Amino acid sequence: MSPCPNQVAWSILVDYWADDLPDAEAEAVEAHVFGCATCAAESARVAAIGQTLRGLRSPVVTREALATLAAQGKRIFEDAFVPGDRREILFPADADLLIFRLSGLDLAGAEHVSFSLRSESKGELLVEIDRVPFERGEGSVLLACERHYASLPPDIVAELHIHEPAGERVATYTILHRFA
Amino acid sequence: MASAAAAALTLRTGVLACRWMEPIADAELVRRISSGEDAAAAESELCRRFAPRVFLYGLKHLRDEDLARDLVQTVLLSVLVAARAGRIVDPSRADRYMLGASRNLAARMRDREARSAGDEALADLPAPLPDDGVADPIELGALFRCLGRLEERARHIVMLSFQQRKPTDEVAARLALTPGNVRVIRHRAIAALRRCLDAASEALT
Repeated sequence: MSPCPNQVAWSILVDYWADDLPDAEAEAVEAHVFGCATCAAESARVAAIGQTLRGLRSPVVTREALATLAAQGKRIFEDAFVPGDRREILFPADADLLIFRLSGLDLAGAEHVSFSLRSESKGELLVEIDRVPFERGEGSVLLACERHYASLPPDIVAELHIHEPAGERVATYTILHRFA
Repeated sequence: MASAAAAALTLRTGVLACRWMEPIADAELVRRISSGEDAAAAESELCRRFAPRVFLYGLKHLRDEDLARDLVQTVLLSVLVAARAGRIVDPSRADRYMLGASRNLAARMRDREARSAGDEALADLPAPLPDDGVADPIELGALFRCLGRLEERARHIVMLSFQQRKPTDEVAARLALTPGNVRVIRHRAIAALRRCLDAASEALT
């Protein structure tokens, strides 16, 4: 592939895929990319990230969303964890979603709940979300595991930070997930 | 439909372009298709060159990978039919012709009826076109790990911009930044993600 003398800047390509370019500029990018294999390949490298991010479902779901998914025919299994639990759990072969119910929480006074996932053995931060939906009445947060999560480390620590007017409480759950 | 079927047949003939050692200009490919001189190989090469670019256009405007693949087939088929009939007036701007066809057909595909009409033509294309030139799919575990290495604010901007499709002004307002700051952080974050993902991919191979 020959180099492009007028290569579209990376920043422009990122803006383009973030839908953050005025129409005329976006059309100019498209006109250039159609005539340039080098810039088309570079654009594809940005697009791949944007597209994968857009396909990510939040790992934390609501009861209402679960009911909708169940009504759509998704096969949903659920298992409850209490703070401090550390145990193995098998993702059933016939499941679309496995819900880890992170329970045993008093969420009556919670203002918001933040959430993170880490690898227990490596300490590596995998996911961090500053505000997740929570079930105030049942005192739980619903973590939805999908089959493609098999690519995550097998030992994950879910940590919840419950923010209240009086301060912050932390609950951790260690999930050793296996896939059938 | 007969000419569409003929073009479809040509599309299935395989990639022969590799026997050309020198790059051939798009205009020359269009000329060969029009004249029938080594037309099958020229058609193959034209499709190989433009399939990834049409796919990207479809991804951007149709926001769906399956629809983008449909667009690739529909556009390439229509362009090959036009090239065979000598209807590409300025072969030196084959890229513009391809872009124009992509714009028109993508606009029609946004309408359900037009999409169904396109499906009839696609019935003649049993084999999917090659995806070469489109970036490799990203492994989700690697993406999570690479996201985890971004600074928290950068990760937040990336997720708001791409996963949640929030406009830049809204992201800026939520994080008490200027839109310009958001853009700079986002450019750097996507570049860092790309480097991290490339390194992860190289480590696997």
